[in-house]
Parts: sequence; C-alpha cells; structure tokens
Amino acid sequence: MGESNSPASDLRDPNPDENPEIKPGEASIEAITRRVQESLTVENRHKFWETQPVGQFKDVGDSSLPEGPIEQPTPLSEVKQEPYNLPALYEWITCDLATDEMCGEVYNLLTHNYVEDDENMFRFNYSKEFLQWALRPPGHYKSWHIGVRVKSSKKLVAFITGVPARVRVRDEVVTMAEVNFLCVHKKLRSKRLAPVMIKEVTRRVHLENIWQAAYTAGVVIPTPIATCQYWHRSLNPKKLIDVGFSRLGPRMTMNRTIRLYKLPESPVTPGFRKMELRDVPAVTRLLRGYLSQFAVATDFNEDDVEHWLLPKENVVDGYVVESPLTHEVTDFCSFYTLPSSILGNPTYSTLKAAYSYYNVATKTPLLQLMNDALIIAKSKDYDVFNALDVMENESFLKELKFGPGDGKLHYYLYNYRLRQPIKPSELGLVLL
Amino acid sequence: MGGDWQQLLQSVFIGLIFSFLLAKLISFVTAFREENLSVTRSSNTDAITQPSNSRHHRKLSVASEPESTVSEGEMSEIASRVSDDNTSVLAEKGSVSAGDAFLDDVATDDEDDDWEGVESTELDEAFSAATAFVAASAADKMAQKVGNDVQLQLYGLYKIATEGPCSAPPPPAFKMTARAKWNAWQKLGAMPPEDAMQKYVDIVTELYPSWANGGADKPKGGDSSESKGPIGPVFSSFMHEEESGVELKMDAIHGFAREGDVANLLKCIENGIAVNLKDSEGRTPLHWAVDRGHLPVIELLYSKNADMNAKDNEGQTPLHYAVVCDREDISEYLVKHDAAVDIKDNDGTSPSELCEKIWPWMQPRDKVVE
Repeated sequence: MGESNSPASDLRDPNPDENPEIKPGEASIEAITRRVQESLTVENRHKFWETQPVGQFKDVGDSSLPEGPIEQPTPLSEVKQEPYNLPALYEWITCDLATDEMCGEVYNLLTHNYVEDDENMFRFNYSKEFLQWALRPPGHYKSWHIGVRVKSSKKLVAFITGVPARVRVRDEVVTMAEVNFLCVHKKLRSKRLAPVMIKEVTRRVHLENIWQAAYTAGVVIPTPIATCQYWHRSLNPKKLIDVGFSRLGPRMTMNRTIRLYKLPESPVTPGFRKMELRDVPAVTRLLRGYLSQFAVATDFNEDDVEHWLLPKENVVDGYVVESPLTHEVTDFCSFYTLPSSILGNPTYSTLKAAYSYYNVATKTPLLQLMNDALIIAKSKDYDVFNALDVMENESFLKELKFGPGDGKLHYYLYNYRLRQPIKPSELGLVLL
Repeated sequence: MGGDWQQLLQSVFIGLIFSFLLAKLISFVTAFREENLSVTRSSNTDAITQPSNSRHHRKLSVASEPESTVSEGEMSEIASRVSDDNTSVLAEKGSVSAGDAFLDDVATDDEDDDWEGVESTELDEAFSAATAFVAASAADKMAQKVGNDVQLQLYGLYKIATEGPCSAPPPPAFKMTARAKWNAWQKLGAMPPEDAMQKYVDIVTELYPSWANGGADKPKGGDSSESKGPIGPVFSSFMHEEESGVELKMDAIHGFAREGDVANLLKCIENGIAVNLKDSEGRTPLHWAVDRGHLPVIELLYSKNADMNAKDNEGQTPLHYAVVCDREDISEYLVKHDAAVDIKDNDGTSPSELCEKIWPWMQPRDKVVE
C-alpha cells in the first residue's frame, strides 16, 4: 500500500531532491549558460543598436565625449512622415486604450505573449486597469500606442507603446518617451518585427518633437546606464514554493520558512494610512525633495503624482504617514500590482505580486515604513513583494528578508549619453 | 646567414601561398557548383520554399560571375555573403515548416530592409550559444577535459561556420599547434557553414548533455531571447542559492521521510533504525513527513509506533508543523491518531492556538468538553 502511494506523494512534492551532491556542478553549468546568454545577446543585437543613437560599448569611459544628447533634433519636416513598411499582410493601427474593446484586445495579446521567466513557468499578466493607468498618464499621445494587426482577420499581433515623462539627468530635465510593452505574438517571433516596432515608435516620438527615450531590458544591449537587480520578499512562502517561484532547501523546513516570513496583522507606524487626493501636494513635495539626490530620476509634478501615486484598486497603492500630532505628512510609500499567470500548475493560476514603486521617509525610519508596506501587502493577499535595488532600497532589503532574484534589469536612455554607468543607488526611476 | 635562411623560407612561403590560392580558387568554384546543385535539389523536394530558393539561386549566379578575377579579400567577402544568404533561406524554411498560419508572405518580406535587424536564425543562435558555452567552459575549471582531437574538430567547424572554407596559407610545419589547427580547418573543404554549425552544436551537445537540456532547447523554441528582450520588463524569481547557516545533521531516514519515500523508509525501520531518531534540530522522521505533507509516510510511521507527540528542539510537535504549514488532512489524521492539540512549544504556544483556520478537530479539549 505504501509503495503504490509513493508516486503520488512525489508529485505533491515540487522539489524532490534526490542528489544534493550534484547541485554545485549543475549550478555552475547554469551560471555558464546564463553568461552565455548574456554574451550572446550582446553579439546578436548590436547589429541593430549600433545604427541607433545610443551609447556604444566602444565609447564607455571615453571622457572626451560630452554628456547629453547624441544627435541634435532634426526639423520636424525632415522626420519621416510615413510609417515604416510592414509586410503586405499586416498593417499599423493606433490603439485607443480608452475603449474597452481595444483595451481587451491588447490585454489578450499581452496575457498570452508577453514576458515570461527563463523556465516558462510564469508570464506577466498586466490587468486592463493597469494598462489604462500605465498608458494614459497626463499628456499622453494616443499615436504612441501602436499595434500591428493582420489585415484580413484584424487580429492584433504586435504592440509597442511610449508615454511621455520628464526625467532629470543630473541638472537637466529632459522630456522623454518611456517605451514599454513591446510584444510580438509568439507565432511571429521569427519575423524580425521588434526592430521595425522600435523604429516606428521612435518616429512617432520624433513627430511630437521629443528626441530622447528611457526603457529597460533584461538583456545587455548598447549601453546600460544602470544595471539593477530584483529582490523578492516572500509573503506567502508555501504557495511560492509550491509553484516553483522559490525553492525549499533540503535542510530547511516549511514550518520554519513560514514562521520566518510571518508578519504582524496591521502596520505599526502611528498615523500610517492610505493616501488621499488631499495629500497630493504634500506627497509631491516629499518626492521632489527626495528624488533630487539621484543622478537620474523622474521629475514629478502634482498632476503626475495624482496620476501615478494616488491609490487605484488593484493597480497602485500609496500610503502616507500623517503625524498624529501635527497632521503633517512626513513619509510616503507605494507599490504597484502586477500579477503573473502561473503556467501549468494544477492548484494555482495566478501569482499576485506587489512591486515597490516610490518611497520617501523623512521622519519614520525607511525600514519601518517598508515593513508596514509589507504588512499591508500581506493583508491584501499578495504572494510576494518585489523591489529593485534602486534609490535607497538596499538599506532595507536584507533586513526585511528580501532575497536576491535571478532577474537583472538594465536601464537605457535613447539619444542621451552618460559618460559612465551609474549605480542602482543613484537611480530614482522605476518603469512599469 | 640567418637572414638568408629567412629569405629562403619567405619565398617558399609565398610560393606555397600562391599555389594554395590557386587550388582554393578551383575548389571554391566547385563549391559554388555544389551549392547550386543542392539548392536545386531542395527546391524539388520542398515546393513551399521555392520563392526564396530561386532568389537564392539568382544571387549565387551573380556572385559567381566575377569568379575569374576574385582576389583573396573578395573571396572571403563573397563567402560570407553566401553564408548569410544560406542562413536566411534556412530561416525561412524553418518558419514555413512550422506550419504557421501567419506566414503566408514568405516572398514579400525580404524586399523590405525594415525587417533587417536584430534577430538571427535559430541555428545561428544555437551555434553562438554553443561557441560561447565552449569558450566559457574552457575558462572554467569544472569543465571536463575535452580531447585534443575533438578540440581540433570544433576549431575546424568553427572556422568554416564563421569564415567559410579555409583560404589562409598553411603555417610552417614546425608550428605544430597552428599547423594542426589549420589542417583541421582545411580538411573540411567547402563544407556549407550551416552544416558546420549543426555539427558543432551536435558535438557540444554530446559532450555536455546538461547544456543541451538547459540552453540548446530554448533557441529552438525561438522565443527565449524574445521573451527576455529586446526591451521591456523582466520576470525575476528567487535566485537558487546554496544553503548557508547552521549545519543540520540528519540521517537517511529523515531524508526518506522528507521525500515521501515509503519503501526506503520501511527498509530503514526493518534494519533497526529507531523510528523516533532525531536530527540535530530534534526533529523525528514524523516531523519531516508532516512538514513536506506526505500522508502515506505518516501512516507508515504511525503503524510503526512512532511518537505522535515528539518535540523538536523548539518544543514543537508534528501537529505544530501541520498547523503552521496549513495541512488540513494531515492535522486531522494526527489528531485522530493520538496527537494532542494542547502541547505547548518553548514559546508557550499550542497547536490549537497556532491554528488560524476553523478546523473542528483543532479546538482545545476543555472547550469541547464545555
């Protein structure tokens, strides 16, 4: 009886660990494969990026080159007026995300074809509300929400977007496009669509007399201005282990792991509450003051803060600390909600992740503020809280039991040169 | 005198180069003929790829026209052009045979250089991955030693794949390594670059099967690089770190309980291993089975008279574990098989106090009595 049961119980255990001694070898093969992937991408991709006004690998550290725009703006009349060519079967469309129908189409494309982890166990599942929030900030251009569809069937098969943002680089505030949500349908991956998508969004950005862009990538292309690392804080360790997001070591017990990540039921800081519309001026002041210390950072005004940081159910959460005595708003923290589909797990279909956004502590210790953010996220049933090592995040990551992630995020500027890459702690910019 | 000797050598050298070039030219021309032949063959067998193949054919005949006047430099340039063209044909074949409803436009997309750019073919990717892997593992001490023959073979294939047929002069015979490398390259003659790439990948896969499992499958899927790039966010999960901290001492029986290995656990017990044996943290096999959720192991341990209320070094019983780990069926089984809900651990907390769920069997006894 016992024997016939054992296969089933093996299945229940996500990480049977029969040969612990083999591990180190496997790990280094994995490490090599990773290094290979990195170097590979560099070689494959710079054919395209060498033709673009971006910092080139060969120029890194060349102090004779000035910081700032690489190419000067051309007169708008000289910007290519016609879209780039697509193969005859496809056509460009502008996606109006204000309509539920189009938003649904974009959502479907991304849900089935957007970014996955290396092992294809998870895929980002940005919600429709999130997409509308991310793509329709103050002053957005509808023409920057670009789709490609099959002419005959009208099926949406590729997507790329830009949204305008003011980014301060050292002393200079530059209006840029934040380029994101580049997605090509899985069946079209061999069609080399990505470069033409990038060129088309660039053209449309130029048509608005904007000449710089900011974007991120998991791969190294010419040339990162910063290379950041993701960190993860388990909120629901059992589920994370069951779905393979984290691994339970053979010498560690589930019991101890769960107790390790236990959090209090409610925030500990007096005056900790949800941000409201009336807090916008105070939060803007806090943010502007805080972000001024970083070499590259978002330049927020009140309209931006109202859009990006005022809480929206299941999209973005913002909390302030209001002093019980003076009623002054002294601290602020925020995170956005980005679930992922769990691919091929019989029990769970969605991983609910909170991503640290912008946090400012002036009176409350940052560590305590972020611990309260964790408590809130746990009470709202998030499975994991993620943070990059940008800004001052490194000061709380280890102590609050974040563990390093396997994902590196490289930041890039288009048509803007920095002499040297900056450290993550000099970066005050979070892209979605 | 030494100078004379060098001069002699130099002239012999130049002579050699010259005759070699001539031979190369001939073999190159033959190679082109062969290419044409193979292309024609494949278009016979595979009707779908015909548009691209005939294009390929055209280009080749253009390329081979000035053959009588080619110099060495032009030759290698043409070689690389030919190999580029070959790979694009290969890519199209690949996508057509994928049977893809979207891809009815094989003939149209190449007229448009907007499509030129970042991605390369699957074979290209697999090959680059393999070469990079070889380079990396050569630098890595853990790498298994690869025989000299194989190394030379890989070298030859690499040169064919990246530079085409060998057109370099042979290095002097006393430079043994260089000469051996040259031989390895030269003897492959006019092997088509994609064959060389494929062979290279095959050899690496044979040498390092684990590489094939991890890395080589992905380029074949065609979406690994795309899923990571070129631009956008990144999905990150926990990095798998080596375990650190206090060294836990545990026995085989704990491992079998942890893995749900009923058969081996039974063997341990039959061989006289104590059923309540503790690891260095005071955990019994029952603690481990409950922690990982293996009910069959728990049933076995119960039948072998395991202590259902054994305490670990923190004073926790298996039932504490079941409650913390949210294992409903197991906690019920334990309670119905002698586990007490009110034993306090070193922090003074009992399983019933730890339980956040409303499980009737977890109610404290005195409450039930009331």
